Amino acid sequence: MTIFNRNVPEPTTNGRTSMPETTPSPAPSSTNVNRPVASSQPMSNLSPASTSVISKALKITGQLESTENIQIEGEVNGDIRAASVKVGSNAKVKGNVYGEEVELAGSVEGKIEAKKVILTRTAHMSGDVVHQDITIESGAFIDGHCRPEYGKTDSKSAPLSYKSPSAPPIMPEKTNGIGAKA
Amino acid sequence: MSAWSSLTSNKKAPVSRDSPLLPTSHLGGAITVKGVLDTQGELHIHGNVVGRINADRLVLRAGGYVEGDIVARDVHIEGHLNGRIFALNVTVDSSANVSGRIFHNTVTVAFGARVDGRMPWRPLNYFESLDQLPETRP
Repeated sequence: MTIFNRNVPEPTTNGRTSMPETTPSPAPSSTNVNRPVASSQPMSNLSPASTSVISKALKITGQLESTENIQIEGEVNGDIRAASVKVGSNAKVKGNVYGEEVELAGSVEGKIEAKKVILTRTAHMSGDVVHQDITIESGAFIDGHCRPEYGKTDSKSAPLSYKSPSAPPIMPEKTNGIGAKA
Repeated sequence: MSAWSSLTSNKKAPVSRDSPLLPTSHLGGAITVKGVLDTQGELHIHGNVVGRINADRLVLRAGGYVEGDIVARDVHIEGHLNGRIFALNVTVDSSANVSGRIFHNTVTVAFGARVDGRMPWRPLNYFESLDQLPETRP
């Protein structure tokens, strides 16, 4: 009877059926709330969620691609593509870095292709820099060419993926055209 | 040496593993990584990863997607995983979708989670002696 007596008041206070139901029942409702929020998160709101941070403890072997910003403090062996790439002072990148804006304070072995390039005083750059707008602070190390050809190379880098399907048919037409005109 | 440290970058002994000095790495929702991710610290994933992940603690956020094996001490899954987990402590959140085996010592699966795969229990020394991941059929 005491057991029943204990059980009886709790459902009445809750206004619903059994007591173990009370703990799971908030969980599904919270998940229902979370799911639409979670789907909207990467698209719009949270800037910390969209900006990627490769901390100093992380080493990545492979490619990184993002439409947002990437901040690298660790080690990356591979190519990086993002809207804006910041390579921190203790970071190491072996590979090419492509972006609208690249700020380098660490070391890069490879090519940088970006509209705006900033090499800070701690930068160590081994490789070519293709840019439209470059800032080099005193103390930065560069071993490579700086070429202000970003707009032209952008059109070059875009066909890289299309090279095999589209380039061969276009090229013969051009040579034929030139040959006919000549 | 333990599983996650022996499998992870193994340059330096696990000196820094538990220190709070190691900052957390975040992979944002817009990112796609193909390759091996190796860290002694914590890793939060909102985006897409295809490849192997070694970490001390891994959090796969809702909306995130991982295809590949995860080796860590603690794993928390809220997103979509297609691959195996080798971890001492695994928590699968209600929003998670996991297909693959979960090798664990302790596991928690929340109500609502979608798990397709076996969940083999392993003793602690299994993870300590885990130098090479076993070949398992899906």
